[in-house]
Amino acid sequence: MNKELEHSFVKQLEENQNIVHKICRLYTNDQDSHNDLFQEVTIQLWRAFPKFRGDSKFSTWMYRVALNTAITLYRKSKRQINTQDFESISFKIKTEEYDDTIEQQLKLMYGAVKKLNDIDKALVFLYLEDKSYREISKTLGITEVNARVKMNRAKEKLRKTLNP
Amino acid sequence: MDQLDKLKKEWQSREQELPKVSYNSIYKMLLKKSSSIVKWIFIISVIELLFWISLYFVIPEDNIEVMNEMGIGDIMFYSNIVHFIIFGIFIFFFYKNYQSIQVTDNTKVLMQNILNTRKTVRYFVYYNLGMFVLVSIAIDSYFYSRSHQLYEIMDFANKGIPEEGFATTFIISQIIVGVLVIGLLIVFYWLVYGILLKRLNRNYKELKKMDD
Repeated sequence: MNKELEHSFVKQLEENQNIVHKICRLYTNDQDSHNDLFQEVTIQLWRAFPKFRGDSKFSTWMYRVALNTAITLYRKSKRQINTQDFESISFKIKTEEYDDTIEQQLKLMYGAVKKLNDIDKALVFLYLEDKSYREISKTLGITEVNARVKMNRAKEKLRKTLNP
Repeated sequence: MDQLDKLKKEWQSREQELPKVSYNSIYKMLLKKSSSIVKWIFIISVIELLFWISLYFVIPEDNIEVMNEMGIGDIMFYSNIVHFIIFGIFIFFFYKNYQSIQVTDNTKVLMQNILNTRKTVRYFVYYNLGMFVLVSIAIDSYFYSRSHQLYEIMDFANKGIPEEGFATTFIISQIIVGVLVIGLLIVFYWLVYGILLKRLNRNYKELKKMDD
């Protein structure tokens, strides 16, 4: 592979790595698995990179490859979901701006999202990333109407998890 | 949903808390090997192919001689050639499917392609199991109908095995061995692909449900 291509790829991935990290956090439960998935996504992105023609933004293309890797290609470690784990790796809210109740609520919500199945998690993730239903439907390969229906069901599942 | 929208508001603002992987570390990752499911499906299927092919090379010479003397040597030879041609066709389809797996497709298409690859491998195994059963039945009934000839060729008289009851013992032992082999193959296949593709299957069903 030529050096220019490598440099261009690594630079773009370095700039957009947050997308991959967010997916890794949602789909894994410990730092080792996070790093494993990050590496696997990087390998898959690099393999597909020669076919990336720039028709879409690099980041848009990354969503698809990274989610596909997390949902279909990645072999999860045998570790069971440990509720303590998500506490330590879930996001932290700056405490001076928010009171404890809101922080607690957000943590619970993030925990509930992590408990969704792989597909629902992908939907909610894209929703949190402020993607349109059109983009969500194109990434997953379902119709826009179904993406909306599915999203409403996922929200319902979240509501039930939080208020059993 | 109020809480989810609150989370959404926070979602983008906490990016600085995410880990940062350096340019050099990313660069090093490009050289690492993939450990994806597809790669494992591919490796296992190739091992399977090699396993079936290698079986033909471990058949003892004696067996071939017995076949020849029983008068089915030629039939076995030509049917093996046909068998290998069918093998070749399977390998062709297998590679075609494998190449169609593009991580840049949408999730549903990607899963469909992976499951298609699996389907080809499954047909391949069905074909092998089916052939094993058919050929065993054909050879065993042929041998059973000519058990006296077989008894003489195998030189059982000199080995102190009485001819009386030989045919029955022969056919029963053949059936037991055959059933055991098929059982082992089914267990192997179920374990390997069942474990590898369980989650994928579940995800695919989730996606499919939306279109029904």
